[in-house]
Amino acid sequence: MAKEGSGSILQFAPFQSSVDEGFWHRLSSLKLNKFGIDDSPIPISGFFAPCSHPQVSNYLTLLAESLPSDSNEESSIPAFNRGNRNRCSVPGILYNTNTMESFHGLDKQGLLKAEAKKIWEDIHSGKVLEDSAVLSRFLLISFADLKKWSFHYWFAFPALILDPPATLVDLRPASQWFTLEEAESVSTACNEWRNSSVTADVPFFLVSVGSDSRAAVRHLKDWETCQDDGQKLLFAFYDPCHLPNNPGWPLRNFLAFICARWNLKTVHFLCYRENRGFADLSLSLVGEALITISQGWREHQCVPNAVGWELNKGRKVPRCINLAKSMDPTRLAISAADLNLKLMRWRALPSLNLDILFSIKCLLLGAGTLGCQVARMLMAWGVRKITLVDNGRVAMSNPLRQSLYTLDDCLNGGDFKATAAVRSLQRIFPAVVAEGVVMAIPMPGHPVSSQEENSVLEDCRRLNDLIGSHDVIFLLTDTRESRWLPTLLCANTNKITITAALGFDSFLVMRHGPGPFNSTPDLKVEMPNSLSDVLDNLALTNTDGKQRLGCYFCNDVVAPTDSTSNRTLDQQCTVTRPGLAPIASALAVELLVGILHHPYGIFAEAEIANSNNGGSSELPLGILPHQIRGSLPHFQQMTLVGHSSNSCTACCSTVVSEYRKRGMQFILQAINHPTFLEDLTGLTELMRSANTFQLDWDDEIEDADDECIEL
Amino acid sequence: MMDVFNWDGTVSAKDFRIGALSFAQKWESLNSAFPPWSWVPCPKHPWLASPEEEGYLSLENICISRPYEVDIDQNSQTDPGEEETSCSEKEDDIDDATLVQSNHHELHYCDFHIVYSYTFRVPVLYLRAYCSDGRPLLLDEIEKELPACSSKESPETKWAFITQEEHPYLKRPWYKLHPCGTSEFMKLLFLGGDTGQPKLEVVLELYLLSWFSAVGQVVGLRIPCKMLNDRR
Repeated sequence: MAKEGSGSILQFAPFQSSVDEGFWHRLSSLKLNKFGIDDSPIPISGFFAPCSHPQVSNYLTLLAESLPSDSNEESSIPAFNRGNRNRCSVPGILYNTNTMESFHGLDKQGLLKAEAKKIWEDIHSGKVLEDSAVLSRFLLISFADLKKWSFHYWFAFPALILDPPATLVDLRPASQWFTLEEAESVSTACNEWRNSSVTADVPFFLVSVGSDSRAAVRHLKDWETCQDDGQKLLFAFYDPCHLPNNPGWPLRNFLAFICARWNLKTVHFLCYRENRGFADLSLSLVGEALITISQGWREHQCVPNAVGWELNKGRKVPRCINLAKSMDPTRLAISAADLNLKLMRWRALPSLNLDILFSIKCLLLGAGTLGCQVARMLMAWGVRKITLVDNGRVAMSNPLRQSLYTLDDCLNGGDFKATAAVRSLQRIFPAVVAEGVVMAIPMPGHPVSSQEENSVLEDCRRLNDLIGSHDVIFLLTDTRESRWLPTLLCANTNKITITAALGFDSFLVMRHGPGPFNSTPDLKVEMPNSLSDVLDNLALTNTDGKQRLGCYFCNDVVAPTDSTSNRTLDQQCTVTRPGLAPIASALAVELLVGILHHPYGIFAEAEIANSNNGGSSELPLGILPHQIRGSLPHFQQMTLVGHSSNSCTACCSTVVSEYRKRGMQFILQAINHPTFLEDLTGLTELMRSANTFQLDWDDEIEDADDECIEL
Repeated sequence: MMDVFNWDGTVSAKDFRIGALSFAQKWESLNSAFPPWSWVPCPKHPWLASPEEEGYLSLENICISRPYEVDIDQNSQTDPGEEETSCSEKEDDIDDATLVQSNHHELHYCDFHIVYSYTFRVPVLYLRAYCSDGRPLLLDEIEKELPACSSKESPETKWAFITQEEHPYLKRPWYKLHPCGTSEFMKLLFLGGDTGQPKLEVVLELYLLSWFSAVGQVVGLRIPCKMLNDRR
């Protein structure tokens, strides 16, 4: 627009809005705690200050303090004080709707008119003279979607339309309009005005310059007394805009006020702007405007039209902001957990592979004392995908030892453990992907009738599918026989398998070795990325001739029959020392993390504590043992190695190839005939000649250096 | 009085407060490129031992980006889930007296708070960043503006690890430079130099200044030399 002479239409730079995150936090809090579904309008305050930078305009800002306080908030945000030079407060009103439809259905024209009417009233009643900030009254409509944590909003800065519009006679930097002396005096006077807490936030004022070049800053209500002297009189206002050719929005209603109140046709105005906290008269503008007063303005009751809805990047659409990342508790929990692990990696373990932990899928067979603790430990390590299998219900004694359950889960006969466990995990960490499967694991030596056969086979297939769709299987049941089928299925597919078993006061935690056949053409091996490459490079043959590490059953000389009578390990949890399960569960998970960080994964050789092997101790997580046996009475723990047995009823090549040949029929036979497995593997023969092997703790302590149990 | 050799690199809450006020004073008088820090007092927490007034230093609205103009005539995507409302045809939202701007400055701002950590007994730098319209910036957007944040190269930034945690007074998530390495590098700063062993009183007086000279670099707030050399 031309600066001088031609009398072009005076164009104002619109106000721009800025909403601090704190405003939305407080609005959400008020909605949830105080207002509920009440959608009556809420009086709010906006804050602005004169422009303080030659290239950037100031905004009308909403902060947490803009809203009435929520007494439930614990924060220590102080209520705003008047007299803050950087926060001139301006009254506004907020219409917050309860639905998106009602947000779009608001009568925007009507609301704008209503606010314009308030400004008009204030002009005529003289309120402006007392509190000039009401000239910049604003309107905000919003819809707070507290499920998605997104906020839709739209500002309006009502400006009374002058009809015909005001024309601009002249506009130039203030430093060019005043003489040097006058400019200095004006600067000083304005700085004083801005530094006094009484006037610092009064955004409309008068600047009078006498013939002696001395300037004075006065309140609007003193206008009459400024009339007499032959002095220059400027209508001044805090201008948020920085543009050299346009004044800011507050001038619109200021002109309307001047014209309606004092009937002036020519107005000299000062757009007051600052730089680094001081008046800047080269940034500030002085202009002269011509106003044609229309008939309607004398009549109080005729409210002029108004404009002022804020554009969003040039378009007439509302704005939207999504704050889920900082307000959604689930997102905050996820981000906190991630950062915790990253902190561990940064400070202590730079080679920690968080990606593997985040992506691995763990299957937990058993949701009892071991299952609950293992699940919790896995989540602590960042594992997000956990499936629990258990066919039992939560009993009254369970919550004490099974850390995912509470009394509520025991009522009315008790919820299914698998479901209750999943619920509990989700309460601890909502982002966990947990699934519960209520299913019994078919066991050899527990014959089934022909009516049950189909459902048992179905369970076998289901178990097979579950194992196939997970990367790691934890055997956490409390009977030996229930471990047999999972062990076989895992050996068949080379899944990482970890067993934990409890005796009365001792425990065993071990990782199963790989299966007898390294890779098969028709089975997809679901391994984490870093391990699958290693798989491809290893030799195809891994027969029993080459020593692979054993499974839980390799140490047995008897087939896993119903062992209720002769229990050393696999005790019912009610008769184990309570400290065992947490210890064993923790070790099981730490063992898994060790496997995941070992370059050979499931194929890793066993290491034992105090070993003199050089290479192993370079791994940042330490050694990777095969078996850990612990004893509470001795407060002792030993690492042991056991290689696979050619006669193992679960993982030897004979058994696995029989399974591959005959599938479910083979399983059924093993279930129904307890000695079938022994006969198949030749254990029947072996039993006649083998001595029962007894693990004697006292002897073993002295020989702790070369533990190697072989059959 | 504790020997400087046995010093563990931490400060007491009282020393923090004294140091903070003196730091703010020096900053205001010697660092005119930036607005001054202000001390924000906080209500007492009766369950903590310290009887002194608690608070933190605040420096807000610092522009951290070069202004770049976004041409609003581009067909940029609308805010997610937003449709043009039907009332736009009926009303004249713009009249002749409204200036329609053809460009739109998008600037990023940052607020910095220096808060004392009772757990680690060191100062912690909290920060948050936002656009001109108030939208908060996410960590990756902040790291773009302050590249020193994510670099692991220099000794100062080796200690820089940004986490998101609840601001202890404002109860909202802010980003902070994790303080677990602070006491170590503060010890190094004072004892690792070849200027001889300073007295412990001197160390504590200069603590905040030295701390900030290292930490501030990570977020692009440099201390002018004259501030570091000023021993008043």
